[in-house]
Amino acid sequence: MLVLDDVRFSHGANGTPYRFSMSAAPGEVTAISGPSGSGKSTLLDLIAGFLRPSSGAIKLDGVDLLPPRPERRPLSILFQSDAVFDHLSAGANVALGLPRNTPRAERGGAVSRALADMGLAGLERQRASTLSGGQKQRVALARTLLRDKPLLLLDEPFSALDDENRARMRALIARLTAERGWTTILVSHHEDDIAALARQTYAIRDGELVPSTMAAP
Amino acid sequence: MLDLTRTTLAVAFTLAGGAYAVAQDLPRLTVYTYDSFASEWGPGPALKAGFEAQCTCTIDFLGTDDAIAVLRRVQLEGAATEADVVVGLDTAIAGEARATGLFAEHGLDLSGLVLPSEWTDAQFVPFDYGYFAYVYNTEALPEPPTSFEELIALPDDFKIVVQDPRSSTPGLGHLLWIEAAYGERAPEIWAGLAPHILTMTRGWSEAYNLFLSGEADMVLSYTTSPAYHAVAEDDDRFAYAEFSEGHLPQVEVAGILASSDQQDLARDFLAYLTSPEGQAEIPTTNWMYPVVDLGDALPEAFTAQAQPETILALDEDAVTANSRLWIEQALAAIR
Amino acid sequence: MPPSAERLSRPYRPFRLAAGAGLSLAILGLVILVLSSILRAAGAEGESAALRVDIPHLLRMSAIQAGLSTALSLFVGLLIAWALNRLRFFGRDLVIALFATAIVTPGVVVAFGLLTIWGRNGWINRTLEALLDTGIGNPIFGLGGILLAHVTLNGAFAARILLARLDAIPAARLKTGQSLGLGAFERFRIIDWPMLRGTLPGLGAIIFLLCFTSFPIVLLLGGGPANQTLEVAIYSAVRLDFDLRGAVVLALVQIIVCSGIILATTALSPVPASTGPSRAQTWADGTMARLLQWLVLGLGLGAFALPLIVVIVDGLGPGLGRVIASSSFWSAAIASVAIGLASATLTLALALALGLGRAAATDRWLKLVLGLPAFAYLAVPAIVLALGFFLFVRDMGVSPTRAAPIVLVLANALLALPFAIATLGPPLEALASSRGRLIRALDIGGFRQFQLLEWPLLARDMGVVFALAFCFSLGDLGVISLFGTDSFSTLPLLMVRALGAYRTNDAAVIAALILLLTLFAFLALPRLFAWIANARSR
Repeated sequence: MLVLDDVRFSHGANGTPYRFSMSAAPGEVTAISGPSGSGKSTLLDLIAGFLRPSSGAIKLDGVDLLPPRPERRPLSILFQSDAVFDHLSAGANVALGLPRNTPRAERGGAVSRALADMGLAGLERQRASTLSGGQKQRVALARTLLRDKPLLLLDEPFSALDDENRARMRALIARLTAERGWTTILVSHHEDDIAALARQTYAIRDGELVPSTMAAP
Repeated sequence: MLDLTRTTLAVAFTLAGGAYAVAQDLPRLTVYTYDSFASEWGPGPALKAGFEAQCTCTIDFLGTDDAIAVLRRVQLEGAATEADVVVGLDTAIAGEARATGLFAEHGLDLSGLVLPSEWTDAQFVPFDYGYFAYVYNTEALPEPPTSFEELIALPDDFKIVVQDPRSSTPGLGHLLWIEAAYGERAPEIWAGLAPHILTMTRGWSEAYNLFLSGEADMVLSYTTSPAYHAVAEDDDRFAYAEFSEGHLPQVEVAGILASSDQQDLARDFLAYLTSPEGQAEIPTTNWMYPVVDLGDALPEAFTAQAQPETILALDEDAVTANSRLWIEQALAAIR
Repeated sequence: MPPSAERLSRPYRPFRLAAGAGLSLAILGLVILVLSSILRAAGAEGESAALRVDIPHLLRMSAIQAGLSTALSLFVGLLIAWALNRLRFFGRDLVIALFATAIVTPGVVVAFGLLTIWGRNGWINRTLEALLDTGIGNPIFGLGGILLAHVTLNGAFAARILLARLDAIPAARLKTGQSLGLGAFERFRIIDWPMLRGTLPGLGAIIFLLCFTSFPIVLLLGGGPANQTLEVAIYSAVRLDFDLRGAVVLALVQIIVCSGIILATTALSPVPASTGPSRAQTWADGTMARLLQWLVLGLGLGAFALPLIVVIVDGLGPGLGRVIASSSFWSAAIASVAIGLASATLTLALALALGLGRAAATDRWLKLVLGLPAFAYLAVPAIVLALGFFLFVRDMGVSPTRAAPIVLVLANALLALPFAIATLGPPLEALASSRGRLIRALDIGGFRQFQLLEWPLLARDMGVVFALAFCFSLGDLGVISLFGTDSFSTLPLLMVRALGAYRTNDAAVIAALILLLTLFAFLALPRLFAWIANARSR
């Protein structure tokens, strides 16, 4: 269970003052909606640790998430843009998601499976700079999922995907979230995605999170 | 990466260190001198071979920048210096060198030497000499000026290139020459020269190179410079412009360091340096006049143009006491 | 105080910070050591002759000369980088390598190359005299000559550095620009300028300091004592007056002035724009702009490459066989190459340690401190450094002659350091700032970051740095003269000896060979590095 309790933040003295409170359950996808610039990415940055709240608490299963540095937090995040290293191959990008103690012999297989799950089988050695936008997004997603952390933060994960891949990715995320018991936070302004995935939805209005009624299944 | 670093360093030092691999038990004489004396084109190698053949010893030449640098190094090292002998100080800095008290008496009889004036120095042994003079190309300049006054009177586009007296031995010599010729009027001469001075280089070689590439009509050098072109390049177009005011000699000297534990060997080396055998190496390597009469062994180029008629002199103590002031006056005059 | 967003978005690298800071302190310590060694040797003498020098006058003259040189160099460098970035032609790599060689060539060699073209007896005058019976006289002496030589040396270097920045503009940004149909000027303003802006202050500082402390060129082309620098006064204080105390005081004046300049420009320096993969440029500007680019390139080649080509042509004449046949040439060449490799390795290591440390720092002051040591060699006069090293080595009980190669390696590495930092600093900084969040999100460690990101992305730049340092070492006389040498010699030393022995031809041959070796290094080493990096990442 991820809980944000009156988390306050503003970008500089004149920025919008944010006051975030929310909770998200494990094994479920919780969606954050809102127009561009409403603070969706700021929220993810606060949870991931790239921004530090001026007050309030963020806890995962009762454990304070704020003290550790971003790289030490038990979470995995997919950025909206620039999410792959262009000079590395697709395989090398995905391999960055493997736990460090993965034995050398297993790495290749794990990477190939992750790519195949994304419909990218056989692209291991292809340079990321030569991939299409949708392929890059799936490479980044494969890597993010491979990290297998209890908290998954997704920032517009399907924006560059066609309908077929979009459906496939949604299904994958829904399945993994349920199977592994992840707490998944999905930031999106795409109502279909939210409708298809999320149990619970918050909208950001005037810097605050408001539970939304459009929650589905 | 780290391995690469280590290997490269190891290779580098092995190579660089290899150059020093000398191990002999013969008595060793260390000679500090200026770079071009010790270099393969200078008298160093021939003198080393000649002296080692008769001394059962090893002689090491260690070359630094120039004569002043040699003295400074010896001063810095003081009594702990490795040097036994210093070769290449000149009359402009001999006084200062003497005042350091680092030099021992040489005890040699030098009465047989041929020099611009009689030699009675107890510490320093002369081994060659020349006169500061402007060198020119006789084809390009059929009628060179014959005095500073005449040079000054020439149109401004007549250019000479000289050396900075603060960084160069001939540059300092040039200044002393004007001082010897004109005394208190020296700043006036400098002011007159100012429009003709193309530039003041850091060292002799830059200036001489500027002259050779045709940038200036005359260059401050030595009366012996034309001999190089005649002997080594078979080119006898070059000459020095003899000035009616007279010329200041530059006598190059060597001295034994008092701290040396090789006093006898050092004395033997200086005796060799001034012997006809040692002297025979000097003219065509250091391009200066020898201090003994070599007779036919002296290439004709050295006598093709006679040595200057009027010879100037400056008192050593006056040089030591005043050279800084003179430099300031000269620089102020041409600024 | 809560950590800033900036700090949280950059990889957390305490080890890199510590290494950089430690190195900074070590270099600072070295400078202090050098100065105190000299002061100790100076003893307690009385009045100091060197201090009668009119310091404000010297500073003013040097500042005017260096300021003009810097402004011109940057402007010319910008133009050439702009032209080279846009134009594609056969031999472009060679031209770029040629431009890079200017700064590492011994100043005196470049000066004589310039004279062959601009001098009274140079090509221009001779051509004009043959055709029109008139000439341009002697334009190369005086302030004009100093500026011409400095711009030749530094403008080409500036062009090389700026070109690297332009070539690193992400392909996506170019595509966007091209699709918007930006004109040549708009394109420069919107796409190029933000990329260059971050590099200019640091580059300007280096060039300013180089010109501020320039010595042989100022004396050779200065036309007399009116144009002089503090460095000359220091040189004469050590040699002529043997006034060590005065020399240290003058050196401190120079260090303080230079540090002021460095601090000012480092503080000014904004965070550079992001970097990304760049592809071969396919977006050509309009016809007018292209004509201008070709014109700039042509003039640039004429002004920069010609003096160097002249040196090569002059050198590969009759004396070549004689020089190549001599054993002294080969031992000097081997020593030069060995010292060059060692100091290039050291330079790269130092530059990486400082650059990585600096890129990891988010604190303004820490960044400043980590930026300073790069300039140590530029601020400390060479003769003072040489003297200090000499005395220090002696105090340690080591024979200076024996220590000469090691000191030479160290000094050459320090000499190349500012250029290395200018080359590697901005991309390292860009990488840390633009990829920091992703690196943190993936919990990539310091070593992996280097292995996966910095090394493959910057291998070519590292090759350039290596080549630069190698060539600096090849061309530098630097500190060796005071140490004295017996059998040990380097190529530039051999060249100077030949000059001092009337052997102008031999000196020309050696100068040409140094230049050729330099060119080769600039062509080969960046490729070699890029090739190794590529081979690894596959």
